[in-house]
Amino acid sequence: MLGQWVSAHGLGGAKDLPIPTELAIAGAVAALTVSFTVLAVAWRTPRYDAATSGRPAPAFLARLVDAPAFRLALRAIGLLGFAYVAMVAVLGEDLLTNPVFGMFYVWWWVGLVPLSLLFGPVWRSISPVRSINELFARVAGTDPERGMFDYPARLGYWPAAVGLFAFVWMELVYPYSTELGPVRLWLAAYVAIMLIGGAVFGNTFYERADPFEVYSSLVARLSLWGRRDGVLLVRSPLANLDSLQPAPGLVAVVAVLFGSTGFDSFKESPPWVRFVQTNGWVTSHDNGPNLANNVALLVFCVGVGLVLAIGTMLTGVEDDGDGAGRSGPLRWVRRRLHLPAQFAHSIVPIIVGYIVAHYLTYLIEVGQATLIQVSDPFSRGDDWFGTGDWSVNYWFSYHPTLLANIKVGAVVLGHVVAVVAAHDRAIRLLPRRHQLTGQLSLLVAMVGFTIGGLYLLFAA
Amino acid sequence: MRRVLVTLTVAVLTLAAATACGDDEPAPPAGGDGGTAETKTIEITFDQGTVTPSGERVEVAVGQPIELVVTADVAGELHVHSTPEQELAYGAGTSTLPLTIDQPGVVEVESHDLDQVVVQLEVS
Repeated sequence: MLGQWVSAHGLGGAKDLPIPTELAIAGAVAALTVSFTVLAVAWRTPRYDAATSGRPAPAFLARLVDAPAFRLALRAIGLLGFAYVAMVAVLGEDLLTNPVFGMFYVWWWVGLVPLSLLFGPVWRSISPVRSINELFARVAGTDPERGMFDYPARLGYWPAAVGLFAFVWMELVYPYSTELGPVRLWLAAYVAIMLIGGAVFGNTFYERADPFEVYSSLVARLSLWGRRDGVLLVRSPLANLDSLQPAPGLVAVVAVLFGSTGFDSFKESPPWVRFVQTNGWVTSHDNGPNLANNVALLVFCVGVGLVLAIGTMLTGVEDDGDGAGRSGPLRWVRRRLHLPAQFAHSIVPIIVGYIVAHYLTYLIEVGQATLIQVSDPFSRGDDWFGTGDWSVNYWFSYHPTLLANIKVGAVVLGHVVAVVAAHDRAIRLLPRRHQLTGQLSLLVAMVGFTIGGLYLLFAA
Repeated sequence: MRRVLVTLTVAVLTLAAATACGDDEPAPPAGGDGGTAETKTIEITFDQGTVTPSGERVEVAVGQPIELVVTADVAGELHVHSTPEQELAYGAGTSTLPLTIDQPGVVEVESHDLDQVVVQLEVS
């Protein structure tokens, strides 16, 4: 019935309704109110310190998650999933009923977010590429933590940012994203790069360059779980978020995550659809629509990065006046170049809030459809796991008002956490006289992100 | 900290109260009787590899009968990306394709021959 034809449509049928106008405005007003409330009444000495925050988790919990058997079980789950995906990617049919698409675009990409929010850095524990690297190291009698070389610190998260962009490009722009060949090729390239990188640089490579591990570990900063010196901690998501160490490329990672999700809303909006389909230049070139989407995705990602960079850099960094007379624009910029990465953690809650709003029904409904398809890996009517005759529950789609309220609630909650996180960082980082005024530009950027996100939920 | 929390709680509760009054769940699909809602007619014209409208948003009610009046120079097929998907074939000349959608959401009606979105049905 499905999957006979090529479609640039992606997975899933109907999309969410736009959120109602009143709700969008209420959300925007809430974001503004909260921002200035925090600025006006919040604490004036930093509260979060990664070196002391949190308390040890209950002993039985720490014993459980650190038990070798538990670790091994998680690795086994990851490897089983990997083997299954490899099987359907190689032997499955090139049809939309092949579970590989749902597992790739929905379970893996979207499902990682709630899992990491609830349980911490999940991908780190189940990552099959980490497991395979560890097996290789064990066979060779070497240490999986160390590779042939040290991972270059200046690379930071840049490889992960590139990897994340490669994924969102595949999902949102590439016209054949739901054909088996390209998905198989993408996965093969991912596994190859991860195994080579792990062999060369050791496990640090996965921490910094595996797009999925970086994504999962970033979202995990909003969970209750942390670790310090190997001790499992329970701490507030705000303190946990504060423990994220700035590194090169961190701004690029958050820019790709937020920019691409925004683009996904934008590309369904009637003005953009009309532009791509009727603009004279775009339609007169064979590759025109594809090129337009490529450019738009890039503009969204780079735009988010620039707004964040400018928002964090428009502040004073010296207590004794800026010496405006003698510092040229280059010096001005150089002295503030470290700021965007120092504040990048505070964008993570905005991203997570918007991702919840954007992907909730997709995860629930296409996620269920995938659970049904998984039972029939070769699209020939098998029922391996007994889920084949289940049907998708569309309850959420039938309650659009509830759905819209959850979406706006998630966006506003993300904004609140973001503003508080940025405030605490500002009073730690900025000299006293710039602490409040220095936050204003970042606050404007954040309000811009949040209202922009709400606008896309309303207009697309 | 406490002061911030109290202020935020008050702000959020006020907003929640302001927005949550109308619990306007959608009416059950008109489906069976169909007589209650009037038919929404959407005219679609295919001519020499172009289609009008192009990507237009059309609001319809859940279960409201829709008629796609297709005038085409070449026969083809429309794909309705509802849940589940529907495919509607049309011939050269003018044909009327009836359609109803029972699940709220935005449903794209696409021509896969042209790879274009014809209309987006906003079903609520």
